[in-house]
Amino acid sequence: MASSMNWEAARDRLRKLREEQHRCSDEVVSLWEDVLCANSYRLGDELWMVHEQVCIAALDCGNKDVAMMNLHALQEQFPNSMRVRRLRGLFFESQENYDKALKIYDAILDIDETNTLIRKRKIAILKAKDDIRGAIKELNVYVERFMSDYEAWMELCDLYLQEQDYTKAAFCLEELIMSNPHSHLYHEKYAEIKYTQGGIENMCTARRYFAQSLKLNPNNMRALYGLFLSASNVASSKSKDAKTKKDNIKYAAWAAEQITKQYKEVARKKEVDTSSQLTSILHMMDEIQITQTS
Amino acid sequence: MAELLLDSNIRIWVFLPIVIITFLVGIIRHYATILLTSDKKVEVQQMSDSQALIRSKILRENGRFIPKESFLMRKDFFNNEHTGFFNTQKRDPVMKNPMTVYDLVCFYSSIAKVPFPLTLRFKPMLQRGVELMSLDASWVSSASWYFLNVFGLRSMYSLILGQDNAADQTRMMQDQMTGMASGMPQDTGKAFRAEWEALEICEHQWALEGVEDEIMGMAVTPPETIYIKSKMT
Repeated sequence: MASSMNWEAARDRLRKLREEQHRCSDEVVSLWEDVLCANSYRLGDELWMVHEQVCIAALDCGNKDVAMMNLHALQEQFPNSMRVRRLRGLFFESQENYDKALKIYDAILDIDETNTLIRKRKIAILKAKDDIRGAIKELNVYVERFMSDYEAWMELCDLYLQEQDYTKAAFCLEELIMSNPHSHLYHEKYAEIKYTQGGIENMCTARRYFAQSLKLNPNNMRALYGLFLSASNVASSKSKDAKTKKDNIKYAAWAAEQITKQYKEVARKKEVDTSSQLTSILHMMDEIQITQTS
Repeated sequence: MAELLLDSNIRIWVFLPIVIITFLVGIIRHYATILLTSDKKVEVQQMSDSQALIRSKILRENGRFIPKESFLMRKDFFNNEHTGFFNTQKRDPVMKNPMTVYDLVCFYSSIAKVPFPLTLRFKPMLQRGVELMSLDASWVSSASWYFLNVFGLRSMYSLILGQDNAADQTRMMQDQMTGMASGMPQDTGKAFRAEWEALEICEHQWALEGVEDEIMGMAVTPPETIYIKSKMT
């Protein structure tokens, strides 16, 4: 498909992918191999950015030859550039030659210790080596220095989840919620962590955040199910007073109603038969509610 | 009014040199900045300080979206009396800018005459540093002459050095006035103090109170209107 493209279209496509930071590595590499490789002399100064982009994409695909070719072109043009040195580090990383990569990264950090990308690469190496605890430790040092790097907070959250340290993961996610309070996904994830932690207090918090997520995006099915489960969970607990229980039953019923509505909607729109799924869902809900309210 | 008699050498040895000095200093400044900015490094300390300030600002603005305990935990991290971040971190004040040409000009102040009559309105503009009521408005003091040059030579610089040149002193003066040069606070200690104060008076008001009832009332509202509503409240 790509070979029929002319080089200008390929260039524009690469530019778009680069600017919007999409990760379509396969497409980038095939565009380069089929179209732009033969036309590289026409690109002008943009050629170097394309080289960098293709190099990273090729490493992502494990295409060593293409990566090597682009890396060499860049090294000849910019022998002292930090960015090219970082690419070399990435190349060694992809070969699982971590010691060499670390040596390159450390050399860069000696010159420019504010280079956050390199610091993150070093943490990524730890993660690649499956040293999750080490990565968490390093990442903690990192966020202490660079407190408003939300990508780092997100990574730290995932690492904590991997270690099943939910309290700390929740802390990281709170940072993310504050950085973008209008993202329903952050709220949903936070609620899920709280739900997993368990306990009445956490369950109430979870219910509230599932609800907030739904408020931001009424079509979030996962949050709907979450709201249903957390509300019925609180309703079934023994320690709460009658009013809270009644409220929670109300919430759970509402969520169940919404879920069935959504399923019917999908069935109507796509004209597929979801009645069997629907009945099984209704059964499941009835069961949960009966067992929990009894 | 008696005619003021001055040596005409003042014109040649004071006013023309001011023009030339201001112009040359501008050009030197331009090239010096080009030389220095490539070497100039942001220090890790400075960077992490400004990031801490950003985080605290976000906490103040969006803290209402996280539970109360979490908010208080973070507030305590920044503002605790003994162990708080803003109370324990002390930074040295940044050095002041070195002497400018202005100091040099004030050093040898004198006056000269423009060859055309001017109205009284021009007196404060043209005779800075010379507080003489009876002096005719067409006399120019050297300090004012310097300022006229600084602002007047701007177009000359952009003609010779290109659009984005660093020779412009007026921009530097604006930076000094607003107190913020290039995003980094000049005096971190002061910025910490201000942020501490702002955070101290910030109370937690949970934005999620009663969302469940809210969504049950309006489950089908499109997301856009919700967004606007939650922004307004």
